[in-house]
Amino acid sequence: MTALIKTTPVAYAQHEQKPAMGVHNGMEVALSFEGAAVEKTHKQVLGVTDVSCFAKFGIKGPKAADWLAKQGLKTPDEINSWVEGAPGTLVLRLGGSEFLVEDQIKGNACNGLSTFNQDKTAGAYQVARADAAFILGGSQALNLLSELCVMDLRDSALASNAVVMTQVAGISATLLRESLAGEQVYRIWCDVSYGPYMWEMLLEIAQELGGGAVGLTARFQ
Amino acid sequence: MKLLNCPMNGTRPLSEFLFGGEFREMPNPDTSSDLEWASYVHYRDNAPGVKKEWWYHSPSGTWFIAERNTLSDEVLATYLYGKAPDATKTTKPRAKKEQSE
Repeated sequence: MTALIKTTPVAYAQHEQKPAMGVHNGMEVALSFEGAAVEKTHKQVLGVTDVSCFAKFGIKGPKAADWLAKQGLKTPDEINSWVEGAPGTLVLRLGGSEFLVEDQIKGNACNGLSTFNQDKTAGAYQVARADAAFILGGSQALNLLSELCVMDLRDSALASNAVVMTQVAGISATLLRESLAGEQVYRIWCDVSYGPYMWEMLLEIAQELGGGAVGLTARFQ
Repeated sequence: MKLLNCPMNGTRPLSEFLFGGEFREMPNPDTSSDLEWASYVHYRDNAPGVKKEWWYHSPSGTWFIAERNTLSDEVLATYLYGKAPDATKTTKPRAKKEQSE
């Protein structure tokens, strides 16, 4: 049987940039846009990367934290915060009893979570997740976010483990700040149907500020 | 910019919220009279004063109660349904709305 290959929800908005596409985690995503040298510069100034291909698992309910703990994942104690639940896997606590688990480029915890059986798990309910997801990094990242988001996201205002659910470019989004290979970056998730819009907004301002699109390959080199 | 305090997410601009109508206790539909039920469904007390209202923080999907003075537009307290407001927050405005320039 042939495995189904999905396409990133952002693909429509990336078409004009003619990226080199490749498959990661069963999804076709942009691996590179303008070549390694240019994208390295973009990363330093302001780089936007589509990471919608990262595997996700959503769960909510009063027993959701217990169930995740049984699967060997660490969960945040505080509401609206995140931890690295397993090597290479983020666990976000969205409010009181809802969690979003997302494997990063080398994480693989979500595969194990797909064994979730609703009939055998009282008090926990799987939440289908298909968010468009982005990484925003570079020296101008905060300037971009200050144009699109009313929240103060500077280091002094945003705790390193905080998850913020707010509006970015006028649409509901989830935000956090993390360190990626020593570089401070921002993660943004939004509803999948707004993926192309979000990409266009992020990229337009990134280009105004001297940055641009960064493919998956350059982002994790 | 007008601000409102979400009990789960903190103070945010009013543009992140949706108004869900006045909060009123629903009479028991099995035992209430037609008059009581019709009053609950159709009638509203529009006199200005402190009202309990449903508000929704759309980025996080949080429904909560706000006690708002509809005359002065001052929010006295916000809290999750079923959780009593902090006494200090009912006497001191927690999220005073500010008029933009």
